[in-house]
Amino acid sequence: MQLTKEENEMLDGKYGEAVQKSMEILVAMGECYDAEKMITVASAHLLHGRSNTGKAGALFDKEMADRGGKCVIFTDTNPSGIEPWAWKDIGISEEAAQEQMDYTNDFVRMGIFLANTCTPYLIGNVPRVGEHVAWSESSAVPFVNSVLGARTNREGEPGSLTAAITGRTPAFGYHLDQNRYGDLRISVTAKLKEPHDYATLGHFAGKVAEDRVPVLTGIPPSVSWDDLKLMGAAAATSGSITLYHVVGITPEAPTEEAAFGPKKPRETFEFGEKELRETEESLSKATAREVDMVIFGCPHASIGEIRDIARLLSGKKLKSGVELWILTPRMIWLYAEKMGYLNIIEAAGARILCDSCPICMSQGFLKGRGHKTVATNSAKMTYYIYPHQGLLPYYGSMERCVEAAISGIWR
Amino acid sequence: MAEIILKGHKVAKGKVEGEALVSHEPISFLSGVNTETGVVIEKNHELEGVNIAGKILVFPVGKGSTCGSFIIYEMARFKTAPGGMINLRADPIIAMGAIISNIPMVDRLDGDPVDVIKTGDHVELDADKGTVKVRSRH
Repeated sequence: MQLTKEENEMLDGKYGEAVQKSMEILVAMGECYDAEKMITVASAHLLHGRSNTGKAGALFDKEMADRGGKCVIFTDTNPSGIEPWAWKDIGISEEAAQEQMDYTNDFVRMGIFLANTCTPYLIGNVPRVGEHVAWSESSAVPFVNSVLGARTNREGEPGSLTAAITGRTPAFGYHLDQNRYGDLRISVTAKLKEPHDYATLGHFAGKVAEDRVPVLTGIPPSVSWDDLKLMGAAAATSGSITLYHVVGITPEAPTEEAAFGPKKPRETFEFGEKELRETEESLSKATAREVDMVIFGCPHASIGEIRDIARLLSGKKLKSGVELWILTPRMIWLYAEKMGYLNIIEAAGARILCDSCPICMSQGFLKGRGHKTVATNSAKMTYYIYPHQGLLPYYGSMERCVEAAISGIWR
Repeated sequence: MAEIILKGHKVAKGKVEGEALVSHEPISFLSGVNTETGVVIEKNHELEGVNIAGKILVFPVGKGSTCGSFIIYEMARFKTAPGGMINLRADPIIAMGAIISNIPMVDRLDGDPVDVIKTGDHVELDADKGTVKVRSRH
């Protein structure tokens, strides 16, 4: 690899042990993937749930902090394993909370911002077109690459932390023009009426595209950030989608020709009414009629989504024994409070939880509290909630999920 | 005793020699291996019940979660990690795991390692030179 003078000095230890160790790791990755050089990255986003990165992840990050590691670019965090106010009340153990707090403290020592959200782009961390970044979190990666047109590989924690400490990442994969063109076409002929229809489409896209780049045609110009947020999260769960293009919508796909560049689309998959219906049905795994939990905000909810839920809950009461959680970053919680949505939601017996997520909290704690069946409008959540929390999912529109929370029955 | 030399591509630096353990199936480190003992626990895996600690582990490719790199790192701490690794083609998760844990590793050899190397063979792995010297026990 061709390194600059400064990068060689990093490798020689001029900037301290953490920078040296980080650069060694990045050079080794670069050589492994035949990268010719390093590129400068503008931001990093790091996993933060102690139950996701485990004992070894905590150790790796602690050692970086102990070696004097400091982030040199804008770096923020994914959701934490504890809710700042409600953790005790919702049943997180003191031990798990302490582990998370110790872990968080290592992030603070390294100068990392505690955004504590999987949607940092909703609270001001918005990479621009063509900007190189090093982000973890499978749902944020396709949003940043596809919707914003910035460039990141699908990083794990070591890749994004070492980039945060050095401001560099090896030039390979999705950082390079030639790897960003479409591989296959998904022709959408189904009418997408509800936001969760986009999650259903995302699940389908991830399945057929696996780790390739799909190009979607037929998406209406009215598609919103919320729709694309749900879609990308689903596609990165059923497949390992890092980048997709939506013709006429996303920045690298003004036309189909631009999206495919020098490549020729060898395969086309149709997503019609039949695929929409079948995929939606396949995502519900529960069989009991009763629902005891409803989860919104996977990925973390926007203020618009919270408004829509508040409208559906206005003047209603959840069935006793049923919980409804909306997950969002604290800044959007404050926004919801200001707008009066929080009052409406709490009056119905539901709650908005900040900075966290059941798939970042201690494994199995929801089942331990007696929950069995969850309803959600997130295709990503339907996948992770069983292995992580032992709950079987129902999947459908926001309205259908709210109705289940009020009646206690999935219809 | 036949000796074969394979040439390939460095993934993670270092030299190691030891006994080969070959898996024809991909390996998932997250929830596929007990980190405290080094025993493969994935149900119906061809190496289920086999200890990989200290072995030169030969397998086609990794699979599973992006947390896999940290699992390898944890095993290196417990001294239950493989001594070296040889892949057909390294994926970023296994590659990062080997790099952060200082486990010598190579891939893209000029012969199919899963086919050429047999469990129990003596292997000298020099990742810096990208070579694998295999001495058959049979």
